[in-house]
Amino acid sequence: MKKTRTADTTIKPTALLGIRAVSAGRLVLFLVAVPLLLVLSLLLGSSGAGLPDMQSPVGKAVLNLRLNRLVMGVMVGGALSVSGVVFQAILRNPLAEPYVLGVSGGAGLGAALAILFGAVAFVPLSLPVSAFVSAVLTLFLVYGIASRGSGGAPSVYSLILSGVIVSAICSSLIMFLVSTASVEGLHNVIWWMLGNLQPVPLEQRTVSGMLISAGFLMSWMLSSRFNALTLGRDMAHYQGMNADLVILGGLLSATLMAATAVSIGGMIGFVGLIVPHVTRAIFGPDHRWLIPLSAAAGGTFLVLCDALARTMLAPIEMPVGVITALAGGPFFLLILQRRMKSAWIA
Amino acid sequence: MLQPALVVDGVTAGYGSRPVLDGISLRVDKGEFVVLIGPNGCGKSTLLKTVAALLKPQSGRIELFGHDVTKLRPSSRAALLGVVPQKVESPMAYTVAQIVMNGRSGSSAPWKVLGEADYEIIERSMIYTDVLQLRDRYFMELSGGEQQRVILAMVLAQEPGMIMLDESISHLDINHRYEVLRILRRLNREHGMTVVLVSHDLSLSSEIADRLILMNSGSVVAAGSPADVLQVPVLSRVYDCDLQVQQDPVTGFVNVTGVLEGANATGNPATTLHVIAGGGTGIELFRRLGLHGYRVTTGVLNRMDSDAEAAKALGVEAVFEHPFAAVSDDAAKKARLLALGADGVVVSDVPFGPGNLVNLSIAEAALDAGRPVWIAEGVGGRDYTGGREATALAERLFSRGARRWESVQELMTDIKHTIHDRV
Repeated sequence: MKKTRTADTTIKPTALLGIRAVSAGRLVLFLVAVPLLLVLSLLLGSSGAGLPDMQSPVGKAVLNLRLNRLVMGVMVGGALSVSGVVFQAILRNPLAEPYVLGVSGGAGLGAALAILFGAVAFVPLSLPVSAFVSAVLTLFLVYGIASRGSGGAPSVYSLILSGVIVSAICSSLIMFLVSTASVEGLHNVIWWMLGNLQPVPLEQRTVSGMLISAGFLMSWMLSSRFNALTLGRDMAHYQGMNADLVILGGLLSATLMAATAVSIGGMIGFVGLIVPHVTRAIFGPDHRWLIPLSAAAGGTFLVLCDALARTMLAPIEMPVGVITALAGGPFFLLILQRRMKSAWIA
Repeated sequence: MLQPALVVDGVTAGYGSRPVLDGISLRVDKGEFVVLIGPNGCGKSTLLKTVAALLKPQSGRIELFGHDVTKLRPSSRAALLGVVPQKVESPMAYTVAQIVMNGRSGSSAPWKVLGEADYEIIERSMIYTDVLQLRDRYFMELSGGEQQRVILAMVLAQEPGMIMLDESISHLDINHRYEVLRILRRLNREHGMTVVLVSHDLSLSSEIADRLILMNSGSVVAAGSPADVLQVPVLSRVYDCDLQVQQDPVTGFVNVTGVLEGANATGNPATTLHVIAGGGTGIELFRRLGLHGYRVTTGVLNRMDSDAEAAKALGVEAVFEHPFAAVSDDAAKKARLLALGADGVVVSDVPFGPGNLVNLSIAEAALDAGRPVWIAEGVGGRDYTGGREATALAERLFSRGARRWESVQELMTDIKHTIHDRV
């Protein structure tokens, strides 16, 4: 197909430049696989494989439960993955992930406080709300420290550095709280920190869905700016965008998604770091495609992991956070070592 | 009156409390090709960043095509001004086409999807900078020159009225540098694009610029044609070193070169060497001895001989004889004085004939006076005295302790050791 063309050929430039945006074959394969895998996960559960008996109320309830968990999985997995994509773009760093700027540390601290002081028992939604609020507060703290250090808009390095430091402080505080906690509180905190997709109340799911959608749409809208931003903030500025505003908007939407995901699913690791890398390795780094595709990939991945978590030791259910790295790790390593070059240059 | 593309009026700007730009004022007309020169740290890059609204001026005013830069919306600014930074890197594996696309999508509204017209502009920019055939290659895997052309294509896709380049071509090799310059020149001529290039290369600047602007310590020192700006007194003061400026009488291009320490043998060098040469055999000796910090004298040389010209150009003290004439007793006497005043004598691989054989006897006199003498190997092969007089004399000198040399490098080492041991 490759042939040299000169300026006066009549081939449409759109076709010319569009081709390499995303490989069409891989895209079709992906779009077929996603719904198939989602349906597959509906057939798996601790009550046994296959579609439950739809005539019986028990069967209906089981399917309903599985559907709810599928929705949870798609929301949490998609949110974490897109959040990872955005953090990696803004910080221009392959090690960036949804928790890098202290989102996990802050959320964990908020959740631990809510659980250990017993608010969870009395105030509905107190755990997710306190996790969410403290995650967002932590971001502002980190951003504030980083800005002060560099006089004005923060540099990428000061952001990462202050994020890591604040996270470490939060972790220490959590450790302190945990070490002084009662046995029951301890179990609750640990269980929450391992991450799981047990359905939360409908109102909370609706609100979370709206927050995640808002974060996703905002990220997608900024996707072409993220492309320019990977060339550096100065170059992005020269290209005619308000780079600082794009960075701030990206950080906010990514944190919104990550904090919401944490508030309903706990701290599920690995998804937000690795799904962006694998999606980028397969489809290239153009964020206009990368953001929706990694949302779908991350959602599907987490739903599948959850299906495995339900069935592997049935009827015992494992936290999904245990499965993500165990099952996904080797598979993703395989893809990455073959295709890393089409994702990052290093 | 030409419409100005850029007006900088009394701008003070910089980082923190220390301003780098100190009330600078300048003006670039529409369609001009201006090169901004000046020593490191003079504020060229700061000026560029301030013009591009990346830095806010503390005082003063900057206008792009009549608009106050600080009040322009980012997208409108990008339509007026494109900037090519020194180096652009992306950690991610973007293809060339994806990189160039940024030039279109960066300034359009976030919800806008690129259309046919945008892709046409993108393709045109890529054709213009000759990167269309690279469109599916990974940007970061290209050579420096290719990357620079890709970035240029990206900036051109903004369709700006003016572009500024910050040292973008300095690190390219000469071939790629001229490639980029040709593209800029063509943009300037065919499309009336205003170009402001920040450069370190004074000679190159004089070749391509309509006008030069020389900056120092945050303000403009001189502006005008290369011949007006590249004047020794101004440049030497601004760059704080000795410079030589030569204007090519044929092309009018101005060539600026620095002076290496010791190269023109001024001051008070420790050691003097007398060179006996002729017919161009001395040029490399003068140059290398000068570079090593020796003071050099030479003679006797015939005027108009290429060694004589080189001695004059390099400021080497010399004794001259009329063109093509045999060495007179008078000249020989003067040269002998020079040789005896030196710490050593070097005889080049100059051919000897009846006319200049006396030069070799000058070396003999130096040897008699206890000076070390180096004679190039193979005198016999260039002995045109009729008999074997030069060969015989050289053999006599060798037997009395004159040293042989073959390569200049070897000679330099030997001179260094010999002279050093004596001191």
